[in-house]
Amino acid sequence: MKKRTSFFSLIKKAGFYMVILVILVYLLFPFYWAVNSSLKTEAQLFMTPATAVPRDPATLEFAPTLQNYATVLQDNQFLRGLVNSTVVATATTALALVAGSFAAFALGKLRFRGRKPALYLILAMTMFPQVTVLAGLYAVISALGLSARVSMIFSYMIFTLPFTTWVLTSFFKGLPDALMESAQVDGATPFQTFHRILLPLTAPALVTTGLLAFIAAWNEYLFALTFTSIDPTARTVPVAIAYFTGAVARQEPFGEIMAAACLVTVPLVVLVLIFQRRIVAGLTAGAVKG
Amino acid sequence: MAAKNSNAPEEKGFFTRKPKLSKLARREEKLALKLLLPALIIITLIAFYPLAQVFYTSFTDRVFASGQETSFVGFDNYRRLLSMNITELEPLIDEVSGELLLDPDTGQQLYERPIDKLPREPVRYRELNQFNLFGKRYVLGATDPNFIDAVKNTVGFTVISVLLELILGLAIALVVNSKFAFRGAMRAAMLVPWAVITVVSARMWEWMLAPSRVGMFNSFLDWLGLVDSPVAFLAAGGYQLPALIAVDVWKTTPFMALLLLAGLQTMPEDIFEAAEIDGAGKIRQFFAITLPLLKPAMVVALIFRTLDALRVFDIFQVMLGSSTYSMASYNYFQLIGNRNMGLASAIGVIIFIFIFIFALSYMKMMGVDEE
Repeated sequence: MKKRTSFFSLIKKAGFYMVILVILVYLLFPFYWAVNSSLKTEAQLFMTPATAVPRDPATLEFAPTLQNYATVLQDNQFLRGLVNSTVVATATTALALVAGSFAAFALGKLRFRGRKPALYLILAMTMFPQVTVLAGLYAVISALGLSARVSMIFSYMIFTLPFTTWVLTSFFKGLPDALMESAQVDGATPFQTFHRILLPLTAPALVTTGLLAFIAAWNEYLFALTFTSIDPTARTVPVAIAYFTGAVARQEPFGEIMAAACLVTVPLVVLVLIFQRRIVAGLTAGAVKG
Repeated sequence: MAAKNSNAPEEKGFFTRKPKLSKLARREEKLALKLLLPALIIITLIAFYPLAQVFYTSFTDRVFASGQETSFVGFDNYRRLLSMNITELEPLIDEVSGELLLDPDTGQQLYERPIDKLPREPVRYRELNQFNLFGKRYVLGATDPNFIDAVKNTVGFTVISVLLELILGLAIALVVNSKFAFRGAMRAAMLVPWAVITVVSARMWEWMLAPSRVGMFNSFLDWLGLVDSPVAFLAAGGYQLPALIAVDVWKTTPFMALLLLAGLQTMPEDIFEAAEIDGAGKIRQFFAITLPLLKPAMVVALIFRTLDALRVFDIFQVMLGSSTYSMASYNYFQLIGNRNMGLASAIGVIIFIFIFIFALSYMKMMGVDEE
C-alpha cells in the first residue's frame, strides 16, 4: 500500500517535470535558434536544410564561429547603445513606478470624486497606435527643448505609466481595508500607511510591473528612432541594431543581428534572476490577518 | 409623541455627523489629488497635445510633412474608411436566346459585374465579397476594402491570440507558482521571449519561417517527410494569420504569465489551507478560490494584451510587408506611404474606440470595478 502511493507520487512528479520541460522547450527553442544563427557564417546560414548547430558546408563537421560577436562588440554604436538603453529604461521604470504607485494608491484605496474618469483618462494615454501620436509628440518634445535621452524617457511614459498605474491599482484594491483602518487607529497618516505598510505588501506586483515596463522601454523602437535622429550618440540598442550594415552593400548582416540580440537578452535575464526572488517574497508569513 | 421624541436625537446625530464625515472625506480627496498629481502632470505635458491633435486632425485633410493648407472636412475621413454598401446583382441573360447565362467552365450562373452596380459617388465603392441570399445575388462593397480587411485581420488576430495567451499564460503561471527545484531559473527563462527585442524577434521568425529549407520549419517538416515542397508560411493565403498568431503568442505569453503569477503570489495561503481542511479538492479550489481571486489581475492583463494586439504593428510590417495589413500597419501605410495624415488620424481614432470597447466590456464581463 505504502509502496503504491510512493510509486504514484513518483509518476506525478515525473509528469510535472515533463510539463516543465515542454514549457521550457516551447519558450526557449526560438531563442536557441537565434543563438544557433548567431554562431553561423553567411554561408552556413544559407545551407539547406538548415542545421540545428553550425556545421561546415563541405564536411558537415561542427564549426561554430564567433566572428559575428567580435564584429558586434567592436561596434562603438552598439556599445554606446547598451549604455543609453540602460539609462533610458532604468529612468523610465523608476519614474513610471513612482508616479504609478502614487496614482494607484489613490485610485485603489481612497474615495474621491472623479475616480473612474481618472482611471480611464490614464488608460486613454496609451490607446492610440504609436505611429499616430508620433507627429504630435515630436512637436511637444521640440517645444520643450528636451535632449534626446530625456525625450525618450518622457515619451515612454505614454505606454509605461498607464500600465504600472492599472496593474498596481488592481493590487492595492485587493489588499484588505482592515489593514488601512488598523494603521490609522495606530495613528499612522494615510501616506505612512501607504509607503510603510501597503507598498511592501505589493512588492510582487511592483517587481513584476517594473520588470515588464523595463523590458518594454528597453525594446522600444519607433520613438527611439525618431528622437535620436538629431543626436546619433543617444541611440538605444534597437536603433543601433537597425543601423547595422553588412559587408556587402544592402545585404542584411543577419548573423550579426542575431549575435547582438543574444548579447542584449543576457543582461535582461540576469536582471530577472536578481529580482525574481522578490516576486515570491511579497507576502511573507501572515501579514494579512483578520 | 413618543415616536417623535425618539426620532429627534437621531436626526440631530445625522446632522452633526455629516460635516465630520465630509471633513474626513475632504482630507481623503485632497490626498488622492496630491497623489495623482505626478501622473496628471506627465499626462498633460506629454500626452494631452498629441492625443488632442490626433482627434482634431482626423477631421481635416492634412497632408503629412508638407506646408499645404489644410481644411476642415468633417466626417469625410471616417466615411471613406467605413462606408459599406450592399447591392443586388441581376443575373446575366443571353440577349439572343433570352436564357440565363452560365459560366462555360463551371456551369454556374453569371451575374452583372459588381463594378457596374456599386455606387461611384461621392467615393468609388469596391467589391469586398459576394454572397447569395434567398436565391438572389448580392455584392458587399466598401469604399476602402483594404481597411475593412485590416479591421477583420486585426480583430481576428486579437481575439485568437489573446485567448491563447490567457490559457497558456495561466497554465505556466500555475506551474511556476508551485514549489520545485530550479524555480528561480525557470522564472527567468520564462521571460526570455518577452525580452527579445520586438523588431529582431520579427526578423528571427521571418527567417525561421522562410519559404525554403533555409528556414527551420521547412527543414523540420521536410525531415519528418510531411511536405513535398516547402511551405510559404508568410505568402498571401491561409497560413499568414496563424503564423503571426503563433509568433505573437510565443512572444507575449510571458507577459500574461508573469502578471498572473504576481496575482497568484499575493493570494493569502490560509484560504487554501482552510479549503483543504474543508475537504475541497485541488480542482474545486481552483474554480472556487483561485479563479475568482485572480480576476482583477486577469482583467488588467487582458486589457493590456488586447490593447497591444489591437495596435499590432511590428510583426505585420516586418513579416507581411504590404501584402496584408493590420489596422496599425495600414495606418502607417496611409501616413508614410500616402502622406494622408487626416485619414491616418481617423484610423488612429477608430483603433482607440475599438480598444475602449474591449476594455469596458472586460470590466463589465468580469464584474471588476464595481464599488
